[in-house]
Amino acid sequence: MLLELKNLYKWVNVGGNRNFLLKDVSLNVNEGEFISIMGPSGSGKSTLLNVIGMLDQFDEGEYNFLHESVHKLKEKQRAGLYKQYIGFVFQAYHLIDELTVYENIETPLLYQDVKASERKALVADILDRFNIVGKKDLFPTQLSGGQQQLVGIARALIAKPKLILADEPTGNLNSKQGEEIMELFKQLNNEGVTIIQVTHSEKNAAYASKIIHLLDGRIEKEEKLS
Amino acid sequence: MIRNYFLVAWRNVIRNPFYSGLNVLGLLTGILFFFLIGAYVWNEYNVNRHLRNSSRQVFLRSVWKDPNSGPDITTFGPLSKRLKENYPTLVANYYRWDGITSVVSKGDRIFREGIQLGDSTLLSMYGFDLLQGDKVTALNDPFSAVITKEAALKYFNATNVIGETLSIQNFSGGKRDFKITGVLDDIPENSVLALNDANHNNIFLPTQSYTYFGRGDFDNWQNIILPSYVELREGVKAEDLAGPIQKLIADNAPVASQMGMKVVPIPLTDYYLQKDNALVKRLLYALSFTALFLLLMAMVNYINLAVSRSASRIKEIGIRKVMGGVRSQLIGQFLSESFILVTISVLLAIILYPLFSPVFSQVIGKAIPSLSQFPLVFLFIPFGFVVTIGFLAGIYPAMVLSAAGTVDAVKGKFATIKEKLWLRKSLVGFQFLMAIVVLTAAIIITQQVNYFFSRNVGYDKEFIVAAQLPRDWSPEGVAKMEAVRDQFASLPQVANATLSFEIPNGNNGGQPPVYRQGKDSANAIAMQALVTDDHYADTYKIPMAAGTYFQSEGGFDSSKVILNQTAVKALGWKDDGEAIGRWVRIPGSPINYLVAGVMKDFHFGSMQQAIAPSIVFNVKSGNTYRYMSFKIKSGEINETISSIQKKWSQLLPGSAFEYVFIDDALKKLYATEIQMKKATYTATVLAIIIVLLGVVGLISLSIRQKVKEIGIRKVLGASVSTLIGIFMKEFMIVVLLASVVAIPAAYLLMREWLNHYQYRIDMTLFPFVISTAALLLVTALLILVRTFNAARTNPVKSLRTE
Ligand SMILES: Nc1ncnc2c1ncn2[C@@H]1O[C@H](COP(=O)(O)OP(=O)(O)O)[C@@H](O)[C@H]1O
Ligand SMILES: [Mg+2]
Repeated sequence: MLLELKNLYKWVNVGGNRNFLLKDVSLNVNEGEFISIMGPSGSGKSTLLNVIGMLDQFDEGEYNFLHESVHKLKEKQRAGLYKQYIGFVFQAYHLIDELTVYENIETPLLYQDVKASERKALVADILDRFNIVGKKDLFPTQLSGGQQQLVGIARALIAKPKLILADEPTGNLNSKQGEEIMELFKQLNNEGVTIIQVTHSEKNAAYASKIIHLLDGRIEKEEKLS
Repeated sequence: MIRNYFLVAWRNVIRNPFYSGLNVLGLLTGILFFFLIGAYVWNEYNVNRHLRNSSRQVFLRSVWKDPNSGPDITTFGPLSKRLKENYPTLVANYYRWDGITSVVSKGDRIFREGIQLGDSTLLSMYGFDLLQGDKVTALNDPFSAVITKEAALKYFNATNVIGETLSIQNFSGGKRDFKITGVLDDIPENSVLALNDANHNNIFLPTQSYTYFGRGDFDNWQNIILPSYVELREGVKAEDLAGPIQKLIADNAPVASQMGMKVVPIPLTDYYLQKDNALVKRLLYALSFTALFLLLMAMVNYINLAVSRSASRIKEIGIRKVMGGVRSQLIGQFLSESFILVTISVLLAIILYPLFSPVFSQVIGKAIPSLSQFPLVFLFIPFGFVVTIGFLAGIYPAMVLSAAGTVDAVKGKFATIKEKLWLRKSLVGFQFLMAIVVLTAAIIITQQVNYFFSRNVGYDKEFIVAAQLPRDWSPEGVAKMEAVRDQFASLPQVANATLSFEIPNGNNGGQPPVYRQGKDSANAIAMQALVTDDHYADTYKIPMAAGTYFQSEGGFDSSKVILNQTAVKALGWKDDGEAIGRWVRIPGSPINYLVAGVMKDFHFGSMQQAIAPSIVFNVKSGNTYRYMSFKIKSGEINETISSIQKKWSQLLPGSAFEYVFIDDALKKLYATEIQMKKATYTATVLAIIIVLLGVVGLISLSIRQKVKEIGIRKVLGASVSTLIGIFMKEFMIVVLLASVVAIPAAYLLMREWLNHYQYRIDMTLFPFVISTAALLLVTALLILVRTFNAARTNPVKSLRTE
């Protein structure tokens, strides 16, 4: 088992009232799974993904990642997981504006102390795969939304993570680009990478092996696909 | 990784030219001022450190029980020599000199020069190099002279002048040639060739010439006017001489030691900094603190701007964190940014140093070493600066920024800045505090300096010109000078003229103890002695309280003296009139002095000191004089001066007419205060520049943020006034709170400073109120200008550049 959420609650206090963002969420994710999270806007999809990614805290319940309680992880260990294990793709593509496309993609490798020659090869490889070699010296503000998202995904994949957390990765892409990304995810999943994605698209959700339906912070149903 | 840090940092710097410019300007101001002060301090610290065996060179300073009793820079003639003879294991060498001022000429080049009659050890003991001449024999012949390069150029326009002669006058009307046997190379400042401002000597003669000048024998214990130095043997400490000195004085000059006179051996390296109540040292400390505070203010600016800008960096922080960056790496990232900005500032400071050092030299009244004069190791200083300042300024913002929560960061929230608002405000408050303190200090120092010049000095200082006379200190000489004086006084433009030893510039000849006839001589009071002719009070318009100023029927009477009112009081007479016709005495002298007149108190020296009890002797009783003072009629001053000059060359051929106006002489008296005034002006300007840079930065960042909050359209309309209102309130409160702390601080500081002055202004609310008000006003103007500017430019643009 890769990760395990048990009766998780997250809330904010608004004028003395508890406003629940996540309510009694329990979820098991095994290595190699491909999960889609769906639900209406504001239902807590991003919140759940952020909790899974340890970007956000929860208020009650239990969360184990690789059999370790997330509560007990130190900053260094968490940073270690981000480096070695987890790749994020954000809804609002989040690139570093001061870095070129090439440098943005290279950054995770820098944090992993990958040798320069190897970095060069890896980045060149992925630029090629995403068909953005020509854009490598541009800054994010010089790219369209779709192109930025591609760079964001390329950056998430460069370090060969074993778990990819993606928040509406295709939201800003045209359908052809979206399809390519989904194919890529599928292929990675076949190679053993665990993927959890948030999506609005039924079609994209169908790439997964399991769909979680959220409503008002609660898991409404889990749908197993063949 | 490091390369990546610097790359990103550099791009951040150039992408935000306004913000970077503010930071660089602030840091540059602080660093440049620090460099200039540092250079000055280094220069002053090195005085006497270039001397050979500088750590073993010692100056013998006299300490009198009553500081009015004698000068502290001179001591017994034979003392240093006997120390060497009697204690050869302690003392390796000695040097002493007698300082005289006389007229030196070569052809038509006639100048009054400070001359040093000294031991031949001068050249060898301190390792002074000669450009020309033989170090070993230069001062052997009694009528040889060693001169500085400066003097050689002044008289001969050349430095190869060995064998040439200079003609030097003595004090009995004589004149003879001295053969130049050595020309000194340029020598860094030291207390041997230039003991104090009044003794910057350029001509050095052998001791044997003392008879020609009618000076005291160097080997006579009665001669106590020789500055004296010794060089210690290796391993000997200056204090080790205390015992031997004590013994020599007790054996040879019992009277002096009974009077509580002591001689203290002081390492020469300390002497310069500690002399005159550690004036130099205190100035160095004051300047160093100012420089440090300005630097601190500049760093605070950096911190403040960096923290307030965190909003625009928070996304980057989050991304880096989810890519596996740990906090220490983020700290490194932000530190590299401060390193870059500090590096730019330091480089600019070095480039601007040569441009600003002449300006600063003027303020400080002393030359500042040029870059090429620094030793090579100083190359490390800029590096040290970059590392230290870069770290100190950068570490706090780096800690704050790197601590931002990941989700907030990824979501790009503003939460973190709001929380630090109080901190930003207290940092700006600190800057305002400093600015208010220096501005208040500047105002109070200015008031005090103005007070020196506006307070009634007790005599009429307007239209008085004084010039040094050639000396013939004999009854005939005085008679001749009195005749000369009368000739001058008869010039139509000259109202009066007087012959005296002193002019009211604080330098007087002696401090004899004085007591009333019939009273115990042990209670004698050290008085400031003046030597003048009968016309002094008339010329300087010093009012009499009782009696007359010497003039008496029945001719000159050498026993007559004049007292001032303070002296009358000190001697215990209730009433000025009571003293007239009474007798006073000096211990050890058989003469009874008759009090012929009591003059009202006047300020003979700086108003730092209280008016001292004074006694005036007639110039004919001691036959010594230095000055002729002229009271000139108002009108064409230049014409008057040139007519005096013409008369001078007629009556006193072969002597230079080098005159001063008394009010200019007073300016010299307050040189330190005037210098301090200029220094506080500089500090005030710099402090205000830095604080305003900080305010500009903060307002600009707030405007951007508010523009976002309020929304693009609204900003153009009604919200401008709202924005101005918000900023006004924000910053005015900070200034006012800062003034609450600054005013008592400035008050205590300035009270302490004013307490050094016997005559001082009363501190009023005015300086405090005006400096706070001034800062409020400047800040308000800045806010207005800045906000209007921001409102006029398209806010969409400012959103984009974020
Ligand atoms: N820190 C927070 N404080 C208060 N409300 C929040 C916070 N984070 C999210 N929410 C609210 O929780 C709900 C779920 O948000 P989110 O997970 O972003 O939804 P989505 O399913 O659209 O991704 C939304 O109504 C959002 O406004
Ligand atoms: Mg969402």
